[in-house]
Amino acid sequence: MRIWIKVLSCACLGLGMVGCSKDAQLSEAKKNVVMVEVTSQTWDYRLPWNPGTVSSARGAGFVIEGKRILTNAHVISGARYITVQREADPRKYPAKVRFVAHDCDLAMVEVEDLEFFTGTTALLLGDIPELESVVSVYGFPIGGDRLSVTRGVVSRIDYNAYTHSGRESHLAIQIDAAINPGNSGGPVMQADKVVGVAFQGFRGDVAQNVGYMIPTPVIRRFLKDVEDGKYDHYVDIAIRWMTLENTAMRKYLGRPDDGLGVLVTDIFSEGSSDGILMKGDVLLSIDGHPIESDGSVRLQGQPVQLEEIVERKFAGDPVELDVWRSGKLEKVTLKLKPAEMFSMYEVLYEPSPRYVLYGGLVFQPLTANLMAVLAGGADLRLRQTYSLFGQDQIYRETPEPVILSAVLPDPLNVYLRGLAGQVVREINGKRIRTLADVEPALREGGERTVIRFEGDQRPAVLKKGDVDKAMPRIMAQYGISEPSRTDVADRRLAKGSYSRGDAK
Amino acid sequence: MKYLLNVAFLILGILSAGQSATGDESRGSLVRVRTSIQPYDQFRPWQKKSPFGLSGTGVVLPGGKVLVTASLVANRTEVGLEKPGSAEKSAAEVEAIDYEANLALLKPTDAEFLKGFAGVILGSNLKAGDTAEVWQLERNGEMLRNQAEVLSAGVGRYPSDEAGFLVYGVRVSLPKRDDSYTLPLMRNGQLSGMMMAYDRDSQEGTAIPVPMIEHFLRDSADGKYEGFPTLGVSWAPLRDPNLREEVKAPSAGGILLTRVNPIGTGGRAGLKEGDVLLAVDGFKLDEDGNYRDSLYGPTSIGNLVRTRPYVGTTSKFRISRDGKEMELTGSYDRRARDEVSIPTLQFDVPPRYLILGGLVFQELTGTYLQEWGDKWSERASQRLVQLFSFQQEMKLDPHKKIVFLSQVLPSAMTAGYQHLSGMVLMKCNGNPVGSLEDLAVVADSTTTGDLVFEFMDDPGKLVLDAGEVKLSSEKLAKAYGITALRKL
Repeated sequence: MRIWIKVLSCACLGLGMVGCSKDAQLSEAKKNVVMVEVTSQTWDYRLPWNPGTVSSARGAGFVIEGKRILTNAHVISGARYITVQREADPRKYPAKVRFVAHDCDLAMVEVEDLEFFTGTTALLLGDIPELESVVSVYGFPIGGDRLSVTRGVVSRIDYNAYTHSGRESHLAIQIDAAINPGNSGGPVMQADKVVGVAFQGFRGDVAQNVGYMIPTPVIRRFLKDVEDGKYDHYVDIAIRWMTLENTAMRKYLGRPDDGLGVLVTDIFSEGSSDGILMKGDVLLSIDGHPIESDGSVRLQGQPVQLEEIVERKFAGDPVELDVWRSGKLEKVTLKLKPAEMFSMYEVLYEPSPRYVLYGGLVFQPLTANLMAVLAGGADLRLRQTYSLFGQDQIYRETPEPVILSAVLPDPLNVYLRGLAGQVVREINGKRIRTLADVEPALREGGERTVIRFEGDQRPAVLKKGDVDKAMPRIMAQYGISEPSRTDVADRRLAKGSYSRGDAK
Repeated sequence: MKYLLNVAFLILGILSAGQSATGDESRGSLVRVRTSIQPYDQFRPWQKKSPFGLSGTGVVLPGGKVLVTASLVANRTEVGLEKPGSAEKSAAEVEAIDYEANLALLKPTDAEFLKGFAGVILGSNLKAGDTAEVWQLERNGEMLRNQAEVLSAGVGRYPSDEAGFLVYGVRVSLPKRDDSYTLPLMRNGQLSGMMMAYDRDSQEGTAIPVPMIEHFLRDSADGKYEGFPTLGVSWAPLRDPNLREEVKAPSAGGILLTRVNPIGTGGRAGLKEGDVLLAVDGFKLDEDGNYRDSLYGPTSIGNLVRTRPYVGTTSKFRISRDGKEMELTGSYDRRARDEVSIPTLQFDVPPRYLILGGLVFQELTGTYLQEWGDKWSERASQRLVQLFSFQQEMKLDPHKKIVFLSQVLPSAMTAGYQHLSGMVLMKCNGNPVGSLEDLAVVADSTTTGDLVFEFMDDPGKLVLDAGEVKLSSEKLAKAYGITALRKL
């Protein structure tokens, strides 16, 4: 059994803080902190048809109003069976995931048997705690089975990577309370309120007493997002900008040396700013907050990156910008949406890996998960397709590059094994832009199927009749029950801006 | 048959042992070569890295020239020759050098220095299983003759890591006597190869074989060195019957051309992507790209098209195109290798650069990328890696260089730009930039107003004040201890 390595804290508030005694906090925590035990399956992107390895782990969670339980997304990722248990009740109650937000590592779990909530009072969310103020972390970390409390101070409040998603950064609060495997998903408390959810730390050989919690603005955003019954994603302004500290550059752009404004240097097609902002625009203010030349704005007196304004918003929300364009001031409003074009860089948890098997050739869409298993073995073209996918807007032409991820040895494909890892360009003359293009393309053409790759690789040629004969043999040999899995229900994809006509 | 071969080996062994007992042809055939090496610093192109010394054993050829590996003299500041067993020395200059073939020919500056040296003549080719000796010089000038066996003779990689040429794999137990394993491989008192690499653990090394040395020496004989020709094509084996059917290949033999450089030997002869190459200069190719060599047996096409012919030799290709066989002719050259936007091999030449107000511009070379270490393709700017690795398919104009911003020297002028690097420069003040000279022309002619640099990648544009660049450049150079703001 693994124990999740993140931090849970529930504690009493610092010694001199208003309004709450240590005893009161502890008693609230005892009523509302729950142990979350999860049996999960992790997909193996090397063998995408397999259901994955089963493992068990323990984390924490806590009851909030509405008979809901909050925990970390990473605690319940890939869960097949979840139970929750309170300090005061020896019974383990089966639970289900209601909402999961991998991008900010939060999840909501619900218990059908309302008996579970008897005696709970629901914890309330507080605000961002002061630096150096004392917080307590509650959870079920390694070292025992009953509720644990550790205590520390708030060390730093800053943007930080949320490692669970692999690409997101949000506000995170660093604390020096001991946070150990099993703390994940537990509340961090100050006075009788939750000020964060413990979620990640460093291994002991890297740093000591550095743990992180998800602060309440992020938690509140999650709770608000799911009010409509589903979790959308964080939205993104989807531009690149550059600081405007250079005098010559400012002069060139016609801006006075007033220390304000940043320069828009790139706009991602299909993003929130596509068609609204332009390269060369100088952003002077966002929703009325002046933008400093280093890209910061003041929020409640604190300097934060201008993205923080966007962070707190939802899909469809407007953002108003004062823009200096071609020597004139303009006001523009854009409507926020998620940056689907960067979804390829997100680690995938729930959706089953998608693939198409054809004569022992395994086709998979390019994903962060696939890159992780190919790791150092990936050839240069594949690595470049991955690393330049966003930067070069490859998604416009190819929203989902398809990779020949493996060649399962069979007499049929003895001459094709060296081609594993290649990026598929076309099959039977049809350009392959997403995995969904693969199966229809395989049915095209004459008696031979011709698969062409990016670069100067030889094509792979297979006789359709031979493949049909070999498929049952290969599937039996390798224990594959389905020749393909291509449903896109959970998949976020860029739309692509190629003409649909030329896809033939 | 096997038995007979074994007997033959035995006899050879006795012969060579007998030789080492009698002759002393080492005197008059070897010199110690000491070089002082100082590579250029690609990351700080205005300076060189720390110098170091190398030594190896050079072979004196009849006529008083000395053959060594090119790696022994790459990025040299000085080359010296030393007679075995005496302290007599002479400086030497490099008369011909080929980094692809890893060979160099040295000439002593003192014309009398090698007087009395008979020199060594080139021997016959070796094949796998042959025995030979690796000669070494002891510190006192005595000869050490190490028994060696040729394990393999085939096309393999050379240290430049670019060219595949014929190479001998050699097993020999070599004591360490010099800072390099530049040592002659001898047989019957004749030169059969130059050792160029050796691994003490496996006791195996590689040697440059006779045909390579012969090609190099013949090419350099007229004082105008041209180098080894190249075909300029990529190819794939054609074993797969399905693929053969698809490309309408004849019943047997041939390889599939997957890319043809139009300016290369093959391209100008009319080879096209998708052709099946059946024979070169009358040698039939099998499905794996091997021809049958009279000495080595099945040998890669690489040897056929790079080592056998010279620049200018007529080339003959038999191909099958769309099921129809035809013959194409042309002549061998090196254009596919030499006329490229981004060169690979950069020894002995300082990196070119131009510093404008703290922005350091360089021209992209393979040598620059290698400076990032073994994992250069992951660590260097992905755009630079892409342009270098896929330059042909990206159709880079071979006559235009890739000028890029390699780093920014922080100063008041470059405030806000400090973190930028690895960005490819497209234009300066609206003028396309295809070389550092192009950039210098614009920069030098702009004395007031803006210098606007346009890059291929984010953030796209940088601006400097031209007047300020002129005014503060010397100060900047002084602050960073840079002696010259440009090297073109």
